[in-house]
Amino acid sequence: MAALGARRVLRPGRRWFSETVPGAPAPLAGPLYPPVVASITAKSKAAKSRRLQRFNERVHGAATVEEKLRLYGKLQRPKYMVYPQTFALNADRWYRSFTKTVLVPGMPPRAAAAKPPIAAAGAAETGRAPEPSAEAPGAAEAPGAATAPEPSAGTSLYPDIGELRSLACDALLQESFYQKKKRPFLYRDQDHTPGPFLTQLVSSLASSLSGRNPLLAASSLDLNPEVNYYWHHGNEVVVHGHRKGRVDPVRFQIDDNPHLQIRVPKQLPEVVPLESDLGDVPVIDHKPSKLPLFKKQYENKVFIGFWNEADVTRPFVSQAVVTDGKYFAFFCYQLNTLALTSETIKNNPRKNICWGTDSKPLYDVVEDGDVKGFNDEVLLQLVNFLLNRPKEL
Amino acid sequence: MAAGPMALRRAGVVAAAAARGLATRAGRPRHRSPLPRTPWTVRGPPPEVLAELAEPRSVREQVELDTVTYAERLHYVPGLARPRFPAWERGWRDPWHSPGPRYEEMALYKERGCYICHQGVRMLEGVRQAQWLTKTKLVEGLPPAVQGILDNPALGLQELEERAERMVSHARLWDTAEVAPRRERYCPMLFENLIHICRLMSGKFPSLSKRMLARNCRIAATWERESILLQVRGPSGILMNSMTPIPPVASKEEILATKEHVLETFYPIAPTIDLQEVNVYKELNDTGFRDGYPYSHPHTLFLLESANIRTNRFRPEQLRAKMLMFAFGNALAKAKALHGNDPKVLEQPVVVQSIGTDGQLFQFMVFQLNTTDLVSNDGIKNLVWIDSDQNLYERAQCVPEVKKRVVTKPAGISGFQPDTFKKFLALYLHGTV
Repeated sequence: MAALGARRVLRPGRRWFSETVPGAPAPLAGPLYPPVVASITAKSKAAKSRRLQRFNERVHGAATVEEKLRLYGKLQRPKYMVYPQTFALNADRWYRSFTKTVLVPGMPPRAAAAKPPIAAAGAAETGRAPEPSAEAPGAAEAPGAATAPEPSAGTSLYPDIGELRSLACDALLQESFYQKKKRPFLYRDQDHTPGPFLTQLVSSLASSLSGRNPLLAASSLDLNPEVNYYWHHGNEVVVHGHRKGRVDPVRFQIDDNPHLQIRVPKQLPEVVPLESDLGDVPVIDHKPSKLPLFKKQYENKVFIGFWNEADVTRPFVSQAVVTDGKYFAFFCYQLNTLALTSETIKNNPRKNICWGTDSKPLYDVVEDGDVKGFNDEVLLQLVNFLLNRPKEL
Repeated sequence: MAAGPMALRRAGVVAAAAARGLATRAGRPRHRSPLPRTPWTVRGPPPEVLAELAEPRSVREQVELDTVTYAERLHYVPGLARPRFPAWERGWRDPWHSPGPRYEEMALYKERGCYICHQGVRMLEGVRQAQWLTKTKLVEGLPPAVQGILDNPALGLQELEERAERMVSHARLWDTAEVAPRRERYCPMLFENLIHICRLMSGKFPSLSKRMLARNCRIAATWERESILLQVRGPSGILMNSMTPIPPVASKEEILATKEHVLETFYPIAPTIDLQEVNVYKELNDTGFRDGYPYSHPHTLFLLESANIRTNRFRPEQLRAKMLMFAFGNALAKAKALHGNDPKVLEQPVVVQSIGTDGQLFQFMVFQLNTTDLVSNDGIKNLVWIDSDQNLYERAQCVPEVKKRVVTKPAGISGFQPDTFKKFLALYLHGTV
């Protein structure tokens, strides 16, 4: 005790009173203590949101896209597999609520009013293999490729509709009449005639129109590509399992194989401004599994440039054609927002927009080497899609 | 442990061999010296043994079992032989258990056999065999007309090289969510991408729009070659048709000069080796399209070897032979459709091109059919120009190869050869430019 006391008294460097020693640093400006934040490891809502925030920061701060993808796709939990080609009733309402999309019937208004009837450039897109025409106005397409319809001021050269019509008729006749084929495989009628016809039609139209649209001249055509997207929307409580009772975001993933896809190097221009509001998004209070929609746990496939934390800065426009070889329905989708999770959707006024037409037949019947009742409007709309391009080109 | 004499001998042999430092295998002793002289080796096997080797009889016949069987006793009796019962007949035709008509009873059965070449035929002698079967003379390299397109700078083939390289990277590296795409995926995708670039050239050359691709088209062509009936049948790959035929590539003098050429034979191998011999066939000549088809002239045939497993793919030599046979089949069917079935020398030779690839190696071929008179070995022959084994790129690494923490092979496409793509494009443009 005495020694201790002695030590306390005799410890060198210890001052009983404060002195200003020359050269000592001035007291720091700002808070002396670190910020008071929620714990990282506690079992509380605040801790969960802190962990989520740290994860988001990690993904934001990741150096390369591969790193971001790896982090985003590391955790695999069961998610709803969304199929654009579905037999469920009223699936379009459900899908619109999942993706916060407004459906506007008809095609978007074209820019130039005084335009020759054949002009307008658009990059026509994937023609899907047969889908019943009832589904045509439904299912919001996955934002796979990015091409937007833009009415261009088709000035000097407008394509000769007769030539394009003969191309289309030739493709149709080759596939359905002239080429000798065996019987279609069971339940694979779409691969027998409409599939090859579409491939032929789109590739020959694209090549003949490439002289008028430089965007098409730099395009690339994919057959049967894989289109995937993974996102969160809404909240649910985990029903059973070791994580029972926890609040989880509802996870969706689209896995789609469109028949044909045209990819272009430049973005198609927007149809309406980013923040425009053209209607209401249906709100459905039921669980997605009532659609029916089923859950599976597998890889998260997503291509990150923008995601639900880093929302899109400019609208992504894409066009789609849904067809079964005879009936065609045209759609134009403008992606304005990706922020669909429960936190980010609160302050997000933007909505995605989808314009769609009803399905119209391209022709009435093919008999004896002759196409009867060819409908020029449908071909015109397809050509418009293909000739779409950004304003600067 | 007491070992028997054989074991000892074996052990001694092994020990002796081990002493000499040789590793021996257990087995029958092989004679390394001339065969020992026995009556069999000197005079040959006796006639009974020879007859037995010629026509082997079943064991029952050899042993001449005419013994008592237990058939009448209706149960097994030890000591009696096992009976052989006649085959049971249903008495009526059950379609679910019916063996089907035998070859001899089929409607199209013919005594004379026909040798068919189809997509699965891998010829032993390769292009030589295909040349004999189609009475063709081979010229190495591409024909001068195609060379002219290659060397023509006005066509602007340079800018397309960069696009072609991007297409190769897309097909080989980028198109998958896994690490590397499989050949079944990247081979057709590379082909589609290259064809797309070629098709986009129709912005510059409007006459290129008179072309149409046909997939899964079937071909049938029949001809006779020195008393052997031959046919080409089956799905013939991807065929590009055009409205106008390709002008003949060889001059009249070259065609007449083929008269002196002698076709190579490869005795003792018969030229019909590896072809499928059938007795039930129809002698058919069919282009695969009906009359009135606007794009009636076959232009180019594309054969893709896209099997994942290497043994399922064709070797380059076999692929070239297949390309030659199918190009010949298409040309012959077209010639017979135009000029009739009589064998004769054509005033307007039919030209069909063919490109075969396995995703990396390309084989280019231009075939000119000069004559449908193929029975005799002399006379005017057909011509083929082959440019083989053109690499489009050396290597496509999806993941960089690292040995001892040093990157030996970086990721990406290395060794891209623009000439191969230019030849592809030149063959596409041939006929309209």
